[in-house]
Amino acid sequence: MITVTINGTKITFVKPVTILEAARAAGIDIPTLCHHDALKPYGGCRLCLVEIEKVPRLQTSCSQQVSDGMVVRTETEKVVEARRAVLEFLLINHPLDCSHCDKAGECELQDLAVKYGPATGRFAESKRKYPENFEDPLIVRNRERCILCSRCVRMCDDVQGASALCVANRGSKAYVEPFSGGRYDCEYCGNCLSVCPVGAITSRLHRHGYRPWLMEREVATVCSYCGVGCSLVLQVRNNSVVRSVPGTDPGFNKGILCARGRFGYDCVNNGDKLSVPLMRRDGELEPVTWEEAITHIAHRLEEIKRDNGSDAVAGIISGRCTNEDAYVFQKFLRGAIGTNNIDSVAGLAYGPAQRFFERIFGQGVTANYVHGISNSDGIFVIGGDPTAVNPVLGLQIRSAHKKGVPVIVIGYPGGLKRFSKHTFITSSPAETVLLAALVSEVRQMKSFPGERPAFDEIISGLQPVPLKSAAEVGRFGLNELIDMANTLSNMTNPSIIIGRDIVQTSTGHMNLLFLAALAYLLNGKVYLLSELPNEQGLLDMGCQPDMLPSGRPLAIESFRKRCEETLGIVLPSTPGLDYAEMIEAAHVGKIKALYVMGEDAALSLPDTNYVRDALRNIEFLVVQDRFLTETARHADVVLPALSWAEKEGTYTNLERRIQLTRKAVEGEGIEEWKIISEISKILGLDTGYRDVTDVFAEITRISHIYREVTHDHIAGGKCMWPYGGGPLRHDAHIEGVDLPDIISVMKNSEAGGVHVRREAHLFHSQNASRFSPALQSISPEPYVKMSEILADRLSIRSGDYVKVSTEAGSITLAAYRDPCLPENIVLIPPFEKGGIFEVTKWKVNPLINVPVLDGSRATIGE
Amino acid sequence: MALDNKILDEINELKRKYEDERSCLLPALYLFQREYGWLSPEALERVAEILNIPKATVKGVSTFYAMFSHKPMGRHLIQLCTNVACMIMGGERLLDILKGRYGLEPNLTTPDRRFSLVIMECIGACDTAPAMLVDTDLHGNLTEENIIGILERYE
Ligand code: SF4
Ligand code: SF4
Ligand code: SF4
Ligand code: FES
Repeated sequence: MITVTINGTKITFVKPVTILEAARAAGIDIPTLCHHDALKPYGGCRLCLVEIEKVPRLQTSCSQQVSDGMVVRTETEKVVEARRAVLEFLLINHPLDCSHCDKAGECELQDLAVKYGPATGRFAESKRKYPENFEDPLIVRNRERCILCSRCVRMCDDVQGASALCVANRGSKAYVEPFSGGRYDCEYCGNCLSVCPVGAITSRLHRHGYRPWLMEREVATVCSYCGVGCSLVLQVRNNSVVRSVPGTDPGFNKGILCARGRFGYDCVNNGDKLSVPLMRRDGELEPVTWEEAITHIAHRLEEIKRDNGSDAVAGIISGRCTNEDAYVFQKFLRGAIGTNNIDSVAGLAYGPAQRFFERIFGQGVTANYVHGISNSDGIFVIGGDPTAVNPVLGLQIRSAHKKGVPVIVIGYPGGLKRFSKHTFITSSPAETVLLAALVSEVRQMKSFPGERPAFDEIISGLQPVPLKSAAEVGRFGLNELIDMANTLSNMTNPSIIIGRDIVQTSTGHMNLLFLAALAYLLNGKVYLLSELPNEQGLLDMGCQPDMLPSGRPLAIESFRKRCEETLGIVLPSTPGLDYAEMIEAAHVGKIKALYVMGEDAALSLPDTNYVRDALRNIEFLVVQDRFLTETARHADVVLPALSWAEKEGTYTNLERRIQLTRKAVEGEGIEEWKIISEISKILGLDTGYRDVTDVFAEITRISHIYREVTHDHIAGGKCMWPYGGGPLRHDAHIEGVDLPDIISVMKNSEAGGVHVRREAHLFHSQNASRFSPALQSISPEPYVKMSEILADRLSIRSGDYVKVSTEAGSITLAAYRDPCLPENIVLIPPFEKGGIFEVTKWKVNPLINVPVLDGSRATIGE
Repeated sequence: MALDNKILDEINELKRKYEDERSCLLPALYLFQREYGWLSPEALERVAEILNIPKATVKGVSTFYAMFSHKPMGRHLIQLCTNVACMIMGGERLLDILKGRYGLEPNLTTPDRRFSLVIMECIGACDTAPAMLVDTDLHGNLTEENIIGILERYE
């Protein structure tokens, strides 16, 4: 027990805390500047000085810990005097340009100067002068205003882990800058902006447009860029989003955002957004009224259904739609059209992966807390760079690494380069061989947990693969591989983090089996990276060709019947087509009508040409979207939709946490679920929803997993799986899992050539980032990354243009040399133009029904 | 930036000597400065890469120390002290000599890239003030008469 007396009040602590924390606990305010709750104590600004009895000099309360019997005074004459002097020093060089500083009104220095500062300074010397730096597209740096508290540098180093900033030079000539001195070229999380107490680093997006006291509204909502689902607050003025800042409560991102959440909000205000429905007349898309458009759609769908049967109609939905939109969409296709032809982007990787793990371990096995990652004793990452796909989740890995937790990365490490001692990059068949070898290795070191005897049997039946073979096939050093395998075998509760690149391959089904085996043998928790905010929600809502809401198989008649009774509709019983099958069916003219909700199919699937042909082949294409996307350009009718900031709804993130998205501004479109309801009504199915809460109420009646959920529950931020009920883990259904033929994979992987692999991109997140000028400005140009050896052989320098050709097509891209890549791998991110999908041939892995990205060998030239 | 094997060998030697890579940073910066005369942005990037340290961190460290130069330097670096002892003994007047003879001013380099001049605050040679370092050679008891003779030995 530690008892301290602060300003005469006695207060007792069990564990040591700083004087500042103690004072706060006692309700006493001590001014601070360099201190920030998210950062470690620094003791640099000297503003928080306090007097301690028996200690001759004033001490910084933010860094000094309390000890038993300590007597502290925070407001003595000496303290007040020192505080005033510190502020006077800080203001020697700080310009007094509050009138046009974006920080005015929420500037800590301004507030402190008003509260404690001297009325005038005594320094007659002229102030330090530096021009403001506008070299960066997003961040303006003003060195004159900087008070060198180093909060930004510590944020970037210790929390973000990007380490893109430094204090350059020293003494009075010191200032903060990124390496280049101009452009930041960093991760653009903007977390440095959040912690800067003054206006030294500000966002260009709202330059001279943000005044805290002029904000009309602050709306707490969820980010709509990825499946992490960070809390954020949209600040609104004149019906436009002026700024997005991280939410602190009840958010689990705790004041942190990534670039997309921070700067991507400008897609809401983008002037190119659609405001009226468009219909194709004489080959051109022309504006029409809502009524015309909706009647026309209903009429055409009716016709096609009559002439070609219900199964000639299909629907695809985007992972950016809310649960309510998704639920109504599948109900419409099933109930009003009579088809199970419904799927989404979640069907391309996230869904099949989840389905595989749930089959073995039971429903909800991937519903693990993001925060759990940094508490595990090992991290195994495969199939995508989490710091690019799900950036705020990625930070958990970085912080675990800092605590000494071993991190293994299979695949391009991207933002984990400095955070893993074990990285293995190779072709995708060689990855499968590596996984097979790791399972063999771990099996020798660990005994079976015995929980699932059927799975024990499968694992026992796997062909053993020696590490040596994996090293040969993958061109790895054997010693490094042995070292990694030992590290892996020593883990007792690892986080196994899986991205889509391991699923979208010809051997994706084997990879999933090996990963399940590793998770089982190592007692691991499985996390599935999710590129879109509501992939999980789409699955839960039944936007799958063979599943009804809450992941109940269509084939289970009792559940189907119960749904039919509750809803008073008839559900088609034969499974529909999945996303890949729809594209193939469209190609051969089997799909006559396709309803696409918010998804840019033309640009999110491999083999752009093939997909474009399929879309062209569709007799009647309806696209509901915020912008005239590539897919919308092929449509017969385009309906303007609303962005997530313009409507109410719910998202379910990759932890299966349900969160509310709230309306911040009025949009010009109509809510997706409402449009669908209108069409549905004409087709004879009146949904009867008055508002979004009616839809949600129906979801909770239909879905046994959402049954206990209420809006209050969600608003509290703790709506975590399994929601109200008990755990739903049921026994595994692992009959029919084929034992992989690893020998033929090994043979196949020996073929030479250059493999093209996908690089997940932090600033390019499918269709939303394309309409965010801010995100586009960071890294607008498509590129290919290659090894130094390959580049040397072809005499390519970074920045040169090279042609990458495969059997699917060829594109010319800027080349970048990356020393961490092996010779036979090049990386291309999924840019809209010049992206990887233009050089991947259409091919589907029939065992998990996903279009794959491997299999094409590239030639690099010119 | 192509590095010759010698410098890579020396860095590997450093890595063996120190427990972690951060500890190699200052010696590695020294090595690069010795080899190239100054620390260009490419050099800092290279050091960062070799030691697996963020390049901004490398920049923060290297710009903190006055002994590292971030501008191209002449073939020979003159570090002249003008702190108290040297000043009293006439160190400042030597500056005029350098300016008159070579057109050399503090923090600048002669057009023929022969000399660069940096003013030092004490080089620990007060007993022989005024003093200067030319590259790594210490020259004390300088006078307006002998300084040119000394410098002429450096081509
Ligand atoms: S935006 Fe993020 S990554 Fe970039 S300097 Fe700031 S904190 Fe670092
Ligand atoms: S830029 Fe802001 S946060 Fe960074 S040191 Fe300066 S005042 Fe502090
Ligand atoms: S991590 Fe995902 S949810 Fe969080 S801010 Fe970034 S894009 Fe948004
Ligand atoms: S807040 Fe304590 S020294 Fe800055």
